[in-house]
Amino acid sequence: MRMSSVRSIVALTVLLGGPLVVGGISQEGNSADIQVIVNMVQLNVAVTNNKGDYITNLRPEDFTVMEDGIPQKIATFGEGNERTRRIEGAVAESNVPSNPAGAQAALPDSVSTSVLSSLVAGSNVFILFDTSNYMYRGFVFAQDAISDFVRSLENADKIAFYSYSRDLSRSSVLTKDRAQILHSVRSTVAGDDAALYNSLLLTVKDAAQYQGRKVIVVFSNGPDNSSVVPPEDVAELAQSTGTVIYMISTRAAQLEPVSTAVFERMTAATGGKAYFAKNWKEEKQAFSSIREDLAHLYSLAYYPKPNPNRGWRQITVKLAGSRPSYHIRTRNGYRPLPARFSTAENHPPEAQASGTN
Amino acid sequence: MMLLHRGIAASADALQRTQAEAPKALPVAGIAPGERISCTREVGGQLVGGSGMSGSLVRRSLLTAAIAFCATALYSQSISNSAFPERQSEKARDIPAASMDSQITVPGPLRSLERMAGISQKVDMDEVLPLLARNVYVQGYIGWQDQGRPTEFLILLGRYVNQAQEIANLAGQGGVVHVVNCQEVEPLLKVLGYRLRQQCGQTNASLITADEDRAFLSSDSGFPLVALENAIRGVKPFSYQYPQSKVPVLFSERDWTALAKESRWKHSLLDTFLHHPTIARLYWAMSRMDPETRFALKQSPGLASLLPLAPDLDFYGSHIVIRSGRALVPGGADAEDAWKAVVGANPSNGSDFATRLLTKDKGWLAAFYDCMSRVSRDQQQHFADRHRLESAYAAFRGSQSLTDAARPAFRLASGLLLLLNNLQWDAQGNPIVPGNVDLWKSVFSQKHESKLEKEWGKHANKWTKPDEVLDAMFAMSRTDVEYGPLQMFLAFSELNANRPPERALKPETFKLLAAHYADYSDQYLIFSEFPQLDDIAISTFVHSAEAIDKISNHVLRGNAMGTFQAEIGLWQILARQHEIPEEQMNPSFLAVTKAFGAINNATQLFDAGRQSLGATLQAATGRASVSQQELIEMLAGPKPADAEGKRVHDELAKGIRSVMDGQRLVSLDTLMTLGRGLDDMAHGANIGASLVPFAGELQEFQMPRPIFTSSERSEWAAGVYNNRHTDMQMQTDLSKILKAPASHDQIEEARGKLAPFLRDTLVGFNYAYYEPPGSQLLRTNPLFVRSHDFAGETVGGIENLWRAPQLFGEGSPAGGGAHLVGSLADLPYALSEAEQDFITPENVQALIWRETVPELLTDSVFPRWWNVSRNELHAAALYQRAGEELLNAAESNQDVRAKVVNILSQRMSPATVSRVEEHLGNAEANQAMSMVTPSNLVCLTAEYRRLYPQDTSVWGTAGKELDQLSQSDPHVTSWQRISRDFGIPHPRLTQSYARQVLGLEPFPAFAGYSSRLMAESWESNNLYWARLADEMGYPPVMLNILAPQLTRRMVEKIFATDFEDWPALLRAMREAGNDFRSGKMAVLPVQAEGSRAAAE
Repeated sequence: MRMSSVRSIVALTVLLGGPLVVGGISQEGNSADIQVIVNMVQLNVAVTNNKGDYITNLRPEDFTVMEDGIPQKIATFGEGNERTRRIEGAVAESNVPSNPAGAQAALPDSVSTSVLSSLVAGSNVFILFDTSNYMYRGFVFAQDAISDFVRSLENADKIAFYSYSRDLSRSSVLTKDRAQILHSVRSTVAGDDAALYNSLLLTVKDAAQYQGRKVIVVFSNGPDNSSVVPPEDVAELAQSTGTVIYMISTRAAQLEPVSTAVFERMTAATGGKAYFAKNWKEEKQAFSSIREDLAHLYSLAYYPKPNPNRGWRQITVKLAGSRPSYHIRTRNGYRPLPARFSTAENHPPEAQASGTN
Repeated sequence: MMLLHRGIAASADALQRTQAEAPKALPVAGIAPGERISCTREVGGQLVGGSGMSGSLVRRSLLTAAIAFCATALYSQSISNSAFPERQSEKARDIPAASMDSQITVPGPLRSLERMAGISQKVDMDEVLPLLARNVYVQGYIGWQDQGRPTEFLILLGRYVNQAQEIANLAGQGGVVHVVNCQEVEPLLKVLGYRLRQQCGQTNASLITADEDRAFLSSDSGFPLVALENAIRGVKPFSYQYPQSKVPVLFSERDWTALAKESRWKHSLLDTFLHHPTIARLYWAMSRMDPETRFALKQSPGLASLLPLAPDLDFYGSHIVIRSGRALVPGGADAEDAWKAVVGANPSNGSDFATRLLTKDKGWLAAFYDCMSRVSRDQQQHFADRHRLESAYAAFRGSQSLTDAARPAFRLASGLLLLLNNLQWDAQGNPIVPGNVDLWKSVFSQKHESKLEKEWGKHANKWTKPDEVLDAMFAMSRTDVEYGPLQMFLAFSELNANRPPERALKPETFKLLAAHYADYSDQYLIFSEFPQLDDIAISTFVHSAEAIDKISNHVLRGNAMGTFQAEIGLWQILARQHEIPEEQMNPSFLAVTKAFGAINNATQLFDAGRQSLGATLQAATGRASVSQQELIEMLAGPKPADAEGKRVHDELAKGIRSVMDGQRLVSLDTLMTLGRGLDDMAHGANIGASLVPFAGELQEFQMPRPIFTSSERSEWAAGVYNNRHTDMQMQTDLSKILKAPASHDQIEEARGKLAPFLRDTLVGFNYAYYEPPGSQLLRTNPLFVRSHDFAGETVGGIENLWRAPQLFGEGSPAGGGAHLVGSLADLPYALSEAEQDFITPENVQALIWRETVPELLTDSVFPRWWNVSRNELHAAALYQRAGEELLNAAESNQDVRAKVVNILSQRMSPATVSRVEEHLGNAEANQAMSMVTPSNLVCLTAEYRRLYPQDTSVWGTAGKELDQLSQSDPHVTSWQRISRDFGIPHPRLTQSYARQVLGLEPFPAFAGYSSRLMAESWESNNLYWARLADEMGYPPVMLNILAPQLTRRMVEKIFATDFEDWPALLRAMREAGNDFRSGKMAVLPVQAEGSRAAAE
């Protein structure tokens, strides 16, 4: 019994918290595949009142989680930067579905405890800085603001610093070494076209490689003139891997309705927020707000009840009882990765035998 | 300095002997006499690269030149690699004081200047000023020559130079910025453009911007701001080396500053360059010439006279070679009279000849000469005849008034170089005209794309000789037409090139192809790749394509085009992998294409798709029906018997499945089951209910969760977002037909609804097979395959949808993602182009240019290595190592050196070969090796073995082993096999996807092609990967995985300055190899025996 629950937990984490690729980013082979196994769903939830103040000290029983209208039992819970804790009986009560992708092998038992505890033990913060020509003006002020943000993050947080123009630059991979990050920030070079969504996609995939809370903070002027992937794909992947996206835009993005729409909707879909900063002071305030948000997120996880839906699954989180003045912000769903060709399981036996004419 | 002199003079001596003693080519094992191999072109004519001189006069000239040369900076493109000398540290790169007049001082670290000037930080010191000069004139001005307006790049560069000087002043004589207390930091911060937010010494003190412009320069140039900040916080001393960097300069600084018009820009070479792009361009152009030639030109006509010719010299001057005052012309001494007549100056006066060449016809003669200089000596010899040369140039030049040939941003007349490289001659020395002369008379009498074509068409009916057709091609080669008679001539030449005479295509077939050239030309490359296809098969293809074109319903037409081409693509893959036996190729291709000869509705299209696929499968397996899993296994390659091969095969199959998953395509099994079920229902079977679950799969696909509303898409992505094809699929519901009684017609119609799904699945297999390394779009965007627009619905202005696809929708966030519009021709390149920006460069300013990288990626996935033996892999490695042995031998043996230089001079620029020769003369074989590409090493070995088979003493271990292998297994060491199995396709250079090694000098960038021709002439990767695999003990099949991985790693490492920077490719390739050798790259572990080469 214990064995099976451990395996379930591990496999779940692999799916929605990102694959347990020990050692981080895989550069070899084709790392484009993110296996999203639907055994455990992890949510980062912000609860605020009408004034925007964070509501703290809520308990697991205060939350109601539904997936496609099916009530779910919370399996793990944590608040802010505290370590997550398992809610007794959750796994036993859940009818853990078979892994539709059938892909990931279970990890050793020894991993499971650290997997659980890492879910909320600090955040993995990926900063994605726009160094395209759009950012040429005010480039150094942006560097100042990002440097301040890096200095202000809690020690428990790990940070990666990426920049992008036409291509992504992984200036500094995930580390606790703030000096290394600051050096990377000050070493960025301006120029070239902007491929925000290409770069954000790669960043989401990198983030998905890690356990625990994953957050991407995008600092961008907004426009994208060279991406080949649409923002919809990026948003879906972020949702399916449980990655929260925050976006800070300079004023120009607000003037550009396309970017404004994407920034607001993508961040909302992933449980993050968008900020439109007119000057460096507002940029600083935006970073400060993100820092506060990270410190007050609840971390919930559940094992989905049986659900025949192989497409998009809608997630709804509410507070139990009547608390109308409170607002909840979290991702609103996910899509299990299809594996029609990768595995034979999904094919009716008749189809296996069929052939061409 | 003495070594340099001795080296050049000595090699000249050796060369004299070589010319006198060079034997006729003898057959050697592995290389058949008369074998058509580009690498082993006949050696004859004149020699370039500082070696074509004789007698004491020559030596005196050399001495003079060498002394002057020693006082200048030399062109160098040495490569950083652990196997070769690393780029020296900046301190170590300083030039000795003895040559002070050949260097200048620039303020600040060289790295910072390179960063601000857009120069790769991996170039050698003597490349810094040439590249700086190049970037100034290319990127620094908007407008022509010195009348241009400075760009932001130039403004920033100028500001940086000023700031660097200010910091250098703070650093003082010692060249160290040293700050020990809070008071001292203020002046430095002011220069840097920063201030302290808190008090100096406080633990939370940090820098913030005070002067945006200055701060930008400080950051962009890489000043260590964080270290300074930390020092301020802890009140610790801050020390930073800020040296005045010395870099070599051609001739002397004064030679260049004297050319400046205004005295205020004469103070320093940097000032002169920054304010005079023409001088900068002349400097760059001279740096691309070999030392003796540029010295001769400096003497006469002199730099001031050359200044107006800088653009021509830049674009078309690098192959002008002057030795002992004499111009060495293409075609050698035999061609001197011809060139004298064309140029109007005697080559015996090299400077006068060069000046006249550059001046005449606004640079067009120089362009003509440059192309002639770049082709093989064999080809040059065909134009040694004065009449032929004059006639060719007259045709090329034309009678119209000429624009400046060097005025555009790119070189012109790429067609001329392609024509000269691909021209074929009969035994009598007449040009071979594909088809016959009448064919070309009719081609020119048809509708004309240009005035020039029309003009030549007026006289075409009088043509009787091949040379007259050839003249017309020379005329066409000057025009910038993408699909004209010249391109047709090149394509048709290639069509017959690999066919035995008895199977040469008939003139009628050529006429048919010519009539449809504008429409289907990009499809013709498959006919070049497979000479097994006969006239009937080719004609059937054209007729089927015509029939599809006539379909009036554009939805049906688009689905038919996609299905037809996907079927051909699958046939092509299986034929190329030899899974379709050679004798089955022609009949199966005929059946595949014939099925599409009469499509009138969707049902017929679905049936044609099934029939066509069945023909391919029948030829490959003996069965017309296989499951999708079996098909994927077949696409992954012929299943090897050994465990290693199986592992590789499984990996490739897994990759194909992953792409199919990412695209969420309906499985082939489902479609075929439904198709057969509906067939049975039409014949009365009552099985509808059993098919319902399969019909449900058609509706499983969901569009990505929308971010934009429909009205927003209409407003923000008008003309870009169009998923009508997918929308229609999502509305397909066969359940009503299956559940309720339906008429025969309704059932037939239902089968037709499967046609769009079949199209997508078949197209998906093609996409998946050619998936480039590092791809994301294919695995992430489920609309990518479905959105392939075969009918031109999503964009306007696409002239011909049978041509290679173009990428649309880039940079349009509301557009739903990029997609391809056009055919499946050139699909591997198109996919690589779409995916290339997902590879993340290791270096800032990596300049991963847009045409080269897709070609590199394509070359790594297009070839497969299923039928390569270990001996053959080993032979590919031995060829390269033996080439290095030759270079080592050439270090001490003047005779060998002359032979080596002679061979290399056919595939290297005069400047590069001159540099190689200099290194060899200086006993720096390793330096020389660093400049020789793997393909050149292979060619060097092959050519040397062919020309000097008796010269066995030069070989070391590798050369001797190659000899032994050649005797024991001559087939695997033959040039033909090496070229075929480790070569690359050249769709633009040779109009064929057939793999081969051409052994050409890297092509420059041309208008219309940018750097794609250069990329196709870069043939070293797969040869080098083969060598690595052999060294590391991997079996040949592992190349199927290694080549894409290593190429991706190589692309990550490219650190280039411009799009002709092939040395950056060489450097990146070797760096990737070092990562592989040192275990920094994770690949499938070796299961077979250990390294062979490592043990040696």
